[in-house]
Amino acid sequence: MSKTILTIFKKELKDTIRDRRTLMAMVVMPMLLMPVMTIGMFKFMEYQVEKQGEKVVKISIIEKGEAPALIEMIKNQEKIEIVETDGEIKDAVTNGDLDLGIIIPENFQENIDDQEVANITIIQKSTDIDSGSALARISFLVANFNDQLLQERFADQEINPEILSKVIIIPEDVATEKETGGFLLGLIIPLFIVMWAITGGQYTAIDVSAGEKERKTLESLLLTPVKRMDIVFGKFLTVSAVALTSVIVAIGSFYVALIYSGGFGSMMQDGQSSGAEGIVESAAINFSIEPQAVLLLLAVSLFLVLMFSAIILSIAIFAKSFKEAQSYIGPSYLVVILPVVLVNSMPGFEPTLWFFAIPAVNATLLFKEVLMGVYDSGHILLTLSSLIVYSVIAIFIATKIYSKEGVLFRD
Amino acid sequence: MSILSVKNLTKEFKNFKAVDGVSFDVGEGEIFGLLGPNGAGKTTIIRIIATVLAPTRGTVEVLGFDIIKNSEEVRKNIGVLTTDIGVYERFSGRENLRYFGELYGLSKEVLEKRINELSNLLEMRDFIDRKAGKYSTGMKQKLAIARSVIHDPKVLIFDEPTAGLDVLASQTVLNFMRQSKKPGGCVIFSTHQMHDAEKLCDRVVIIHKGKVIANDKVEALKSKTSSDYLEDVFMKMMRV
Repeated sequence: MSKTILTIFKKELKDTIRDRRTLMAMVVMPMLLMPVMTIGMFKFMEYQVEKQGEKVVKISIIEKGEAPALIEMIKNQEKIEIVETDGEIKDAVTNGDLDLGIIIPENFQENIDDQEVANITIIQKSTDIDSGSALARISFLVANFNDQLLQERFADQEINPEILSKVIIIPEDVATEKETGGFLLGLIIPLFIVMWAITGGQYTAIDVSAGEKERKTLESLLLTPVKRMDIVFGKFLTVSAVALTSVIVAIGSFYVALIYSGGFGSMMQDGQSSGAEGIVESAAINFSIEPQAVLLLLAVSLFLVLMFSAIILSIAIFAKSFKEAQSYIGPSYLVVILPVVLVNSMPGFEPTLWFFAIPAVNATLLFKEVLMGVYDSGHILLTLSSLIVYSVIAIFIATKIYSKEGVLFRD
Repeated sequence: MSILSVKNLTKEFKNFKAVDGVSFDVGEGEIFGLLGPNGAGKTTIIRIIATVLAPTRGTVEVLGFDIIKNSEEVRKNIGVLTTDIGVYERFSGRENLRYFGELYGLSKEVLEKRINELSNLLEMRDFIDRKAGKYSTGMKQKLAIARSVIHDPKVLIFDEPTAGLDVLASQTVLNFMRQSKKPGGCVIFSTHQMHDAEKLCDRVVIIHKGKVIANDKVEALKSKTSSDYLEDVFMKMMRV
């Protein structure tokens, strides 16, 4: 590397670090935003679900007929409070005084005794979360009541209640704890890396190019005997260094927060188990990442950063002012992030080989594989080599733009 | 022998001719005035000499180096003060100068010595270690001048160096230009302030609408137009 590139790199880095806005973009934002946003969100959801589970719901029963066994069962159920309602039960549910209303018809007990179908009416409000959990609890309770009832009837007729046995699913997950952890990390880490590879160096890229033009220091820089190529390279290295720092800070702080907070995995497991009613034993999730995976993540991130830095710098050089550069770069961010989000969240998406030649998309897919412990040399090589090719093209274009006088002296 | 030789220079932009067949020579040890009203094409000529703009036709030789074939050598040997002064505001004056000194390839000792020397010459000692963002216009202009001559170039080109400066700062700048004249080099002073040009310049060209309308010694131009001041010469030439 030529000495002037190093001089320019050191100067630009010093310049950008002295700017508080760079520090915000490079360190503070990724450090705080990422862990807070993701883990905070999961924790919040977890808290909400837990709160809902603890909540005591208010239920009113209107007994037009008798139903002693059922009512006894409801009364014994925890977290259900039976209240008296005067007036119309529907109004009480509508205005939220009551979470659920149960109407037992006149001949309920007679129907049960006669072994006929017996109805109860439930008044609920589907848009109310508390009403929803009250309904879920009552439904579960009625299902138990039915089972009990059937067992009694079979017993009366001296039939073995075993014939009531239904099919029960016993899931066995062949995914290891590591794979489960890798899968969950794969939902978030690739997106973060791509996001910060673009946004981390954005401010610096604009500052060293369009910013320099706007502040009228560019012409004196071009008056020095330094080659245009060296100027572009020095600036390009600065942008890359800042972007790479922000990627590493974002992933690092996310990972540390994940380990210390106990992770978001427990929440996902809870979600599953409540659906299958305790059949699934919560498996422990292992969020450790293998050293070679870390190396590969870093290597791909590096090339991703180089490519994005070169592209953003080209765009920013073309712009004549800070504002103009921002309005060009804003939409380009969407163009990149949309396909990435798409392939990242599409369930069961099986990429063919050429997907690993699409910039940013290839890195996302590769990160997912690597986090799950899959190392496909073809995918790795194609991803790295295509990113290198794109980087070289982007840098070449940036240099060309810097040599065009029209772009430099657009007033 | 001429230090700088402008040969039939033309620069066309998309819809107009900024410079139209301009030729002149600047001799060794001369302070040469490049005069003309705003928009005459002075800054474009300077940018072409400085190699940041390419000429449409014609060329310039600086110390025998062609601006197109040998642009790097040209840039090494000239110091240009541009009209738009911009300095790195998050850096001190000294840091600004260090950066440019390094870009010109000066060694550390030479650079530090040169910075102190310029700081004394341009009276910058009081503020050179403060952040340039807090400088007044005059301070910024002095820093920009120091920056443009940090590599001790043979050929100096100053584009409107006193524009917007108060009398005191103008005096410092003009004195500096007078002292910058040296053997083997020359100083080109572009201005529309005839008063300053008259005090300083050995010879002048007057540019009007991209063309040279006069090229002579100040005294010769005065007697030719029977005027007492360069300003009158200028006014008379413009009318022609």
